[in-house]
Amino acid sequence: MRSWIVLVVVTALTAALPLAGNNYLLRLATITCMYAVLAQSWNFIGGLAGYPSFATAAFFGLGAYVSAILQVHGLPSVAAWGCAGLIAMLFAAFIGGAILHLRGHYFAIATLVVAEMLREIVNTTPHFTGGGMGLNLPIMRMSVGAQAQFFLFAMLGLSFLCTATAILVQRSKLGFGLRCIQQNEDAANVLGINTYAYKTAAFSLSGVFVGMAGAIYANWTNYIDPPDVFDVLLAIKPLVMVMLGGLGTIFGPAIGALILIAFEEFVWRNFLTIHAAALGFIIVVLILFLPNGIVPLLRERVARRGASP
Amino acid sequence: MFTSYLSRRVAAGIAAAGVAVLPLLPAAAQDAIKVGAPLPLTGPLSPEGLKQKRGYDLWVETANTKGGIKAGGKTYTVEIVYTDYASNTPRAVQSAERMITDDKVNFLFAPFGSGATKAASAVSEKYGIPMIAPTASSAEVYDQSYKFLFGTLTPNETVSEPIAKLVTENKPNIKRVAILARNDLFPLAVAQAFEKAVKAQNLEVVTFERYAIGTMDHAAAITQMRAARPDWVYASGYINDLILIRRQMNDLGLKPQILTMIAGPAYPEFAKTVGPLAENITSMSWWHPAVRYKGKDVFGSTEAFNAAWEKKYGGEADYVDASSAVDGAIIQLGIEAANSIDPAKVRDAIAALDVETFYGKIKFAASGQINSLQPPVFQLQGGQPVVLWPPAIKQGELRFSP
Amino acid sequence: MIYLQIAANGLVLGGLYACIAVGFSLVWGVLNVINILHGTFIVLGSYIAYFAYVHAGIHPFASIVIAGGVLYALGHAIHAGIINRVIAAPVLITLTLTFGLDLILNNAMLVAFTADYRSINLARPLGTLEIGPVFLPGDRVAAMALALLLTILLWRLLRDSRIGRAIVAVRMDREAAALMGVDVKRINAITFGIGALMAGAAGALLSIIFPISPLNSATFLGKAFVVCVLGGLGSVPGAIIGGIVLGIVESFGSYWFGPEHAVTISFAILLVLLFARPRGLVGRRGYE
Repeated sequence: MRSWIVLVVVTALTAALPLAGNNYLLRLATITCMYAVLAQSWNFIGGLAGYPSFATAAFFGLGAYVSAILQVHGLPSVAAWGCAGLIAMLFAAFIGGAILHLRGHYFAIATLVVAEMLREIVNTTPHFTGGGMGLNLPIMRMSVGAQAQFFLFAMLGLSFLCTATAILVQRSKLGFGLRCIQQNEDAANVLGINTYAYKTAAFSLSGVFVGMAGAIYANWTNYIDPPDVFDVLLAIKPLVMVMLGGLGTIFGPAIGALILIAFEEFVWRNFLTIHAAALGFIIVVLILFLPNGIVPLLRERVARRGASP
Repeated sequence: MFTSYLSRRVAAGIAAAGVAVLPLLPAAAQDAIKVGAPLPLTGPLSPEGLKQKRGYDLWVETANTKGGIKAGGKTYTVEIVYTDYASNTPRAVQSAERMITDDKVNFLFAPFGSGATKAASAVSEKYGIPMIAPTASSAEVYDQSYKFLFGTLTPNETVSEPIAKLVTENKPNIKRVAILARNDLFPLAVAQAFEKAVKAQNLEVVTFERYAIGTMDHAAAITQMRAARPDWVYASGYINDLILIRRQMNDLGLKPQILTMIAGPAYPEFAKTVGPLAENITSMSWWHPAVRYKGKDVFGSTEAFNAAWEKKYGGEADYVDASSAVDGAIIQLGIEAANSIDPAKVRDAIAALDVETFYGKIKFAASGQINSLQPPVFQLQGGQPVVLWPPAIKQGELRFSP
Repeated sequence: MIYLQIAANGLVLGGLYACIAVGFSLVWGVLNVINILHGTFIVLGSYIAYFAYVHAGIHPFASIVIAGGVLYALGHAIHAGIINRVIAAPVLITLTLTFGLDLILNNAMLVAFTADYRSINLARPLGTLEIGPVFLPGDRVAAMALALLLTILLWRLLRDSRIGRAIVAVRMDREAAALMGVDVKRINAITFGIGALMAGAAGALLSIIFPISPLNSATFLGKAFVVCVLGGLGSVPGAIIGGIVLGIVESFGSYWFGPEHAVTISFAILLVLLFARPRGLVGRRGYE
């Protein structure tokens, strides 16, 4: 119950941001919501099920291109976003069938490779996708301020949906099954859990919202090309965010997203030439000293304080 | 020399950080015009980003030393707000928007290249801030009926048709053409323009191959081209691609009578790196230090620009350097013509420009792309670029390889 | 016949790929660590060879020793100091850690050397060998031969030296090796060091063939991945076979389908292999 309250409150507060009147702040908030969606989605397959997926970039790019191509052919934007999510989900289910039987390293590599393959396919079909030249989306007839708000609400709405799904999954049989799979897949199998179905469900969930996020992103920037929407950093950063916030928790991904984005903005403004190293540094520190992320750390502190006489 | 690389990098880093901090300093006593310049100062495109920066810096220095820009009864100094978008296009768009909303720039320079320019132009159009693009030549960039986007590289046909005509006029038995293009907005577009141009001269395109961005081995493509026995080989890409292609052509015995490459030979680094293999490579360039124009811009003439460049940076400018510098000069001309720094008025003034500058005649088509230039065709002879066309500035004759 | 040339291209390329991948394969197979730093190590080796040539006239082939030495020290230090702390963690953790370290090293190189592409222009290049219809670029062939030689040396080292046998023992069963008295921590660091050494040596060899820039590290890493999965992890013969197969496949694939598809083809093969035979052509079951 508490999770729902937190979710609603945070969403309402973010929705009130336009009152601050600063377009750039809205842009930052929109990016944070987008990464929160990516991180939360990754959490389904990576945090709950324990399967290290790098397919986030694949789903994102796929969603972006599907939506862009549909819109170039006349479909209205919101409908295109929905289609993008659906196609990403189906794609995840399809690919899942092929690679979810792999463990550990091989699964990780396979997911990386899927993104690269999709990127190359887009690159080499220019008549359809614009190829290396990129694709321009039809501009929305809206004032600048209205656009900033529109996309903030779109991403915010998506992250609300995604987190709500996460809350539901956590409490459900699916969530329980996934946690069993993470701890010991063979034992889970023996216990009668249909690991194949559960893993596929998790993988599909990890794709649907990311696909929609990619679609919204495409409209937001008006122009997409393969290196940008299939960027491997789109797969790595959500992972780092979840690790930062806490694997398998509900709000960990969003917290991680907020912290990482804030840090990046600080670094971009002040340390132009070493921003990549700064991100690397955060990752190293995180892994060496904060292996479980921040949310479990805070929980521990709170628990300890509560327990002391 | 190693330590000087290091210290130059450190100095550049500090300078960049310093410049980035500039807008946060309290406003100078004199009014300043701010121009935003999102650049790829790191990442794969950083060599080009740094060229753009050099061009802008020379303009700022020249304009301020000559008394600033006068408009509406006031005198302004000019300053540039830089940010590094790390060769990442979405970041370029983001930076452009932030410069407008936070840094309150009056005008914008476009990021590097056709792709990023196209993406960022949506922002400048949204906010009604004039943006000038020094490095976007593909027509696709200018096809959205935007009013606030201008570019100082002429369309890709202008760097394709002249050389097609030149070669066929000089040696009619050149018949078979092989094309190798990088699968990227500009290199692919310019290769396609070239294909059209040679077909219009009744030449036969025997192969047209595309290579992926980041390809490190062209043996397969070159072997294939060799099998087609071309008289003329054309390769498009960026400098690192072209260096590799040239070497591998030599390794694999592909020796056409004419070899044309774009867009690397225009840079002095190309001939230096490739050494004797650069001999007889033909190319086109949107501008070349050998041109001679007298202009109403702040530099005054091509010779004066070359001298100023030599003094500040040593060596010669290439077309990216010059295009960037002239973009600054164009903003200045627009402000002076409009006698105001109001974006809409300056935009109209720039659109109406019809003026000579050190770079050549500046006149923009309705799409915003410049259409008043004749990009020179040149050939590397003895390690130096020799202009072959247009006739007014011709320096030498076209040579064929045996 | 053109197929001969295509095959020759593929073989030469393949030998180089094998050298690029063998260090990566070793680290992955023995330590269970996917070392994202590998590509950047190779580029660093290239830079060492470049500066040695430009400032001291040392031929890049001789720089193999210098680059190898420097990278060994670097790799050993990075492992002993940082990676070793989380060596027992799941692959996700170590992969992300090496990714973070790679961001740092790559950025440092970008700041130090800039992204400008460097090339080594040999004062006395070996020219091109023409055997009938086939052109063999002399320097590439020499680099490939040296690459294979190095790889074979590594293989002998693993089989015949004490350290080598200890490494293999750790790869087969870490606990059993520890029980037999092997200092696993030390072996881990040495193995990582050797992986870095091979990367540095490969970099020195590649410095005369490919342009040198920190921007190339991802491409090298991608090749290493594919070769490892093709050939099997931790196996030197596997890396050789995987490399050559990849070289040939890319060469013929480029010819038949066009050069822009070369990368897609190699990834498609990778996916098919992962699906059907994850242990690779030569690898042994149980290491996945």
